[in-house]
Amino acid sequence: MSLNTSIIHKIAPSMQRSILITLGGLMIAGAMVFFLVLPARARLQTLAAELNTLRDTLATVRADIAGTEQQRLKTAEVRSKHDALVRSGVLQPLLNSFAMRGKSLLDPLAQQTGFAIANVKEDRFLRLQVPKQVPLHLYGRQMIEFSGQGAYTSIVNFIALAEERFPLCTLAGLKIISQNQTPETHKAFITFEWPAKGEKRTP
Amino acid sequence: MSNVYHLNLLQPEEHLSSSPIRLRVMLPMFALLSALGVGVWWSVLAGRVHAVTQQKSAIEANLAQLKPTHETVLGLRTEQHDLTATLEQLAYYTRAQLRFGPSLQALAHHVPDQIQLTELHIPPPPEPPPPDPKNPVWGPTNPIERVTLRLTGRTTGASQVETLLRAFRTEAFTNLIRSAQIPKGAYRQDTTRRGAAKETLLFELNCECALRRFE
Repeated sequence: MSLNTSIIHKIAPSMQRSILITLGGLMIAGAMVFFLVLPARARLQTLAAELNTLRDTLATVRADIAGTEQQRLKTAEVRSKHDALVRSGVLQPLLNSFAMRGKSLLDPLAQQTGFAIANVKEDRFLRLQVPKQVPLHLYGRQMIEFSGQGAYTSIVNFIALAEERFPLCTLAGLKIISQNQTPETHKAFITFEWPAKGEKRTP
Repeated sequence: MSNVYHLNLLQPEEHLSSSPIRLRVMLPMFALLSALGVGVWWSVLAGRVHAVTQQKSAIEANLAQLKPTHETVLGLRTEQHDLTATLEQLAYYTRAQLRFGPSLQALAHHVPDQIQLTELHIPPPPEPPPPDPKNPVWGPTNPIERVTLRLTGRTTGASQVETLLRAFRTEAFTNLIRSAQIPKGAYRQDTTRRGAAKETLLFELNCECALRRFE
């Protein structure tokens, strides 16, 4: 490809200067658009988007802060419900032992009903179903087995009284076996379960 | 008579237009004005960027100032959600509770004289299935637990057991016991005792209790 320069030579020198200045000016304008205007527009768009997000965040934060007192009341209400439920019978270990706690709770009832507790054994801890929003502290079902002997009425009165006194205590297993030598006194293995605090989930 | 001659000594490219707008002046002016215009455009944009940056900084400073107060609110909200979730989990337990005491107490009044119960058995809950390492979950996924009650005893006749079976359908038991049946082959001759052994039958009675629904 060859450039025919004869045309350029035919143009007057003043016109040549004019064309050169025009081309130079247009190139400068183009370069400014490309290197200054377009990046500045992009930056402005990004900043505008960030500013909008920040404005929304600020509005949310202000609304949240405005509702602090209401939130405090709501939390206090739920906390009080929670504490009341926990106090009403969630099992806490005594001297690091659920069996000890179970014994300390149910011994007076056994004496009252005439069921002679011979042994208390900490049984399994079963995990409890979790709601959609998983709590930080998970609860489970702690089983405690009470074995002993007594008349049928003593045994069932003991169970009924335990259920009545401790609303969260549930009979989870029972075996009453009659004994030939003592027809009025039976061996009983009673498993009660209570909700108890289990593992702490890492958030 | 005189003749007027016009001499044109200009080359064609040296001809000038009679128009007051001269291309060789206007073109560079247009180009330079374009560059100037772009410069102004850029400076306007730069000014806006600066203004928006300042606004952004102001909002960020405001947010930083509000952060401690906001964190308190968020903490309270998190605590509320967590306590609500705990209450919901404990509600799963309370909704799944069964009361055995009244029915077991009533049983003593409904057992016919000719029946001697030798064993009463409510099996404890089964072991949950082992956790799947590929899909770890926080708790059991099956919300329903079956509860059964099995009675075994001695009787002098099957009619006595039928009477007991009918008693389980009365309202003293229906809160707890949903169905009761004598399984096939439940009656056997009592071979452990002498004398009256021929008259004594061993029997078994299976009851399905209400389901425990942890939901």
